[in-house]
Amino acid sequence: MSREWIQKSLLICIVMTITILSGVQFYRHRHFQLPIVAGPGVTKVTMLSDYCQSLKGTPADTRVFFMEGAEEGGKTLIIANTHSNEPAAILAALIFIENAMVDRGSLIVIPQFNNSGSRNTKPGDGYVLFFDIPTEWGSKRFRMGNRNAAPLDQWPDPDVYVHYPDKKLFSFLDARNTNRTWPGRENGLLMEKVTFAAMELMRTEGVDVAIDIHGAETMFPVTNCIVAPKKAMRIATITSMIVNAREGFENHVEPSPKSFRGLSHREIGDFSETMPFLLEAPLPFLDQPTGPKTEALLLDGKDPFLLSLSKQKKLFVPYDSTGWSMEKRVGQHCSVILELMNQFSRRNRERSIIVSQVPKYAEIIERGVGFYYKDPDKADRERIYYN
Amino acid sequence: MPFITILYYGISIFIAAMLIWNFVKEKHDTQKMALCLIVLIPFLLRIFRIR
Amino acid sequence: MYLQIGLILLIMVLAYGLAKWKNLSVELCMASSAVAGGLAGAFIKAPPLIQLARHLVEGTFTYLDVMLVFVTATIFIKIITESGGVDYVVRGIITAFFNMRIVALLMLMIVLLIPGALTGAGSVSILTVGAPCAMALGYLGISKKRVAAILFIIAGLSAAAPPVNIWAMIISAGTAIPYVGFEFPLGIPVLILGTFTVLFLGWKRENNMELAEVLSRMPTIPEKMNAWRVALPFMTFFGLIAISRIWPFALPVMGLPLQFSIAALVALLVSPKRINFLVLSRDTVKLLLPLLATMAIVGSLQQIMTVTGVRGLISYTVISMPLIVLYISLIFIIPISEGILTYGGAAIIGIPLVWFLDSIGLHATVAIAGLSLIWPLGDGLPPTALIGRLTVIMSDYKGSYTSFLKATWVPWVLITITGILMILFSAKLSFLVEWGM
Ligand SMILES: [Zn+2]
Repeated sequence: MSREWIQKSLLICIVMTITILSGVQFYRHRHFQLPIVAGPGVTKVTMLSDYCQSLKGTPADTRVFFMEGAEEGGKTLIIANTHSNEPAAILAALIFIENAMVDRGSLIVIPQFNNSGSRNTKPGDGYVLFFDIPTEWGSKRFRMGNRNAAPLDQWPDPDVYVHYPDKKLFSFLDARNTNRTWPGRENGLLMEKVTFAAMELMRTEGVDVAIDIHGAETMFPVTNCIVAPKKAMRIATITSMIVNAREGFENHVEPSPKSFRGLSHREIGDFSETMPFLLEAPLPFLDQPTGPKTEALLLDGKDPFLLSLSKQKKLFVPYDSTGWSMEKRVGQHCSVILELMNQFSRRNRERSIIVSQVPKYAEIIERGVGFYYKDPDKADRERIYYN
Repeated sequence: MPFITILYYGISIFIAAMLIWNFVKEKHDTQKMALCLIVLIPFLLRIFRIR
Repeated sequence: MYLQIGLILLIMVLAYGLAKWKNLSVELCMASSAVAGGLAGAFIKAPPLIQLARHLVEGTFTYLDVMLVFVTATIFIKIITESGGVDYVVRGIITAFFNMRIVALLMLMIVLLIPGALTGAGSVSILTVGAPCAMALGYLGISKKRVAAILFIIAGLSAAAPPVNIWAMIISAGTAIPYVGFEFPLGIPVLILGTFTVLFLGWKRENNMELAEVLSRMPTIPEKMNAWRVALPFMTFFGLIAISRIWPFALPVMGLPLQFSIAALVALLVSPKRINFLVLSRDTVKLLLPLLATMAIVGSLQQIMTVTGVRGLISYTVISMPLIVLYISLIFIIPISEGILTYGGAAIIGIPLVWFLDSIGLHATVAIAGLSLIWPLGDGLPPTALIGRLTVIMSDYKGSYTSFLKATWVPWVLITITGILMILFSAKLSFLVEWGM
């Protein structure tokens, strides 16, 4: 063999090793199935594509959990992992699916709204591939996804994303962002089909309240808040006051700007009878000025740089050495969701929704998030749904 | 898979082929060879639908 | 933690230096730095060693789609060049405007601005029309050093010019500020600064060639070449873009790489000369290799810096500065971050910076526009010096790299001042955004 080919073979070996080593990890992440144990309240599990034919058989299709009460009443839709890199959402959604009992009305939960995004990673941002939540029976593993859908499922990106139907322009990345593609199109981009299917679900099921759960940087002005359009503003405001007074955490209200299209809190209200709310909890892991992007940072939200910036008054949320733990964030989401439903029910008696067995803020902080997850090994096989 | 997406896999395969051709053709410059292969990595993983 | 991360940063810098000392190319120096940083990080499990390969490889995907644009766009223009189309246009401009020097300079500026404006990459301007424009500027009696300086500055402005400005897009996507209303805040300064640059650097005629003599020195054009054959491929490309904007919901999304590919196919079909497409593509990829490698490796470097906390440390340092110091240091920080990380700087420094500026009452869109005028200057700075290196190659300038860089100083300073003023007075300039809405 010539010198040239010895060099070449050596290079090929090195590059191939790196490629295969990483390729296996990417493959495992993309194909990891999260077991969700349907709790006693779950009455049926369907697919989102049941509301939009063109979504059927695509990698963006995802499960929808129904919890229907014995008594007729109103309906609430909980959407989690619109952005799959904001994981407090799916953790809160799973607490509902695995524990909630619905006495009146129904609760519909989509735990992984952007399923494709949850199987994607974010180049350049150094996320972990998985994170583990400790439980009484071991730990429960979750995929850490990306804000946007995977290019493997929706490719190419446009040079500029033109939002349907107003023709507002967004960055090309937002064509894969399910919080910019509302209200969606039946035959548009794959992510537009996802949001369209959800719109159809809300219209055909007659959903009264839709709650889209997110997380945002502590340096982002719109964080630790409830975003609501005008028609949902009263309920949001009262909820914010009540959780502050009774449960002791701050969660202010932000109006949904009329001109900022494509977001759930804007389009759901404008294109259906449903009242939308978008919940943001602080997510220090996503901030730019943080230390190493470790699983610990994702779960406890403790960071020395953010602490120092907080002292310089450069953060938009209160921040101290205790960080922003996952328990705090999930607890906030659960409490706010329960209170929103409560406030809606008080104003619309015939459409009221009564849910029990869901823990609140203080309880989740005390017991931890994992306390509320069932062991899939001990659960009835028929009740386990993979997503 | 939509037709346009298939075309993109086609474009990727074409570029990957050009990179490999340049790699094979490069006789002396080891650094150039290495660069060809480094650039090839994301193309390969995309073509095989890994990432 | 500061010490720990500082140490990792130091190791990365040392690895870079060591690689440079071993005579590795800039791209491989960056790769060494990324690997060393990752290994150092592995000591504190950030990243865990088993994840190191994944982080390095994941980073290479950051600009995969930009790489597709680079390759397809350059193949497209290379076909036009090969078929004699570019020579045809340059000859046309020289013949028509030889005695109207200012008009000729402005026309060449526009020709240089277009490819970069469309793709968001100044390198595409240099790679595609750089060589013929350099030739034409030379025929107008401008010295090689000044030609290189013009090319570099205009290419930088072309990257900042609307409709596609990648820095602004990265920041917009990261800050949830819509990428709209940039047409005037970017377009007007680009045209003014571009005009100043070509007139300032191109004013002096350093030889006294006659038109006839110039024309005789220019490359010959294939006989069957005509305006249609040059225009048709461009019309195809612009037509496809126009259709995607006018009827965005009637057709599926095509994306820039496919639009360039189709235009390339048209160019191939109307070329008066037979072109060996495969060989041309192979050579284009070879020409672009340093650029493609930079894109791939900068992505890895950025990912390693993020996962180890180095990126956070840098970002934190910038954000913590007192406001006045911050404004002054932006003059250096912005181009240097580009020189080290190319587009990565926009994410690391740009995103938190814009949130911060937004929170103190500045107009985010205009501020982003101002910042993204300064960023392209960094493409002339080492270690990457992406556009600078390409410019020197394409303009055939034989002097030292520093002498070329020094020739750009007047427009450089002016662009920096414009950018900083746009940030400072962004609230007052917000009418520029409203014009475009
Ligand atoms: Zn979100």
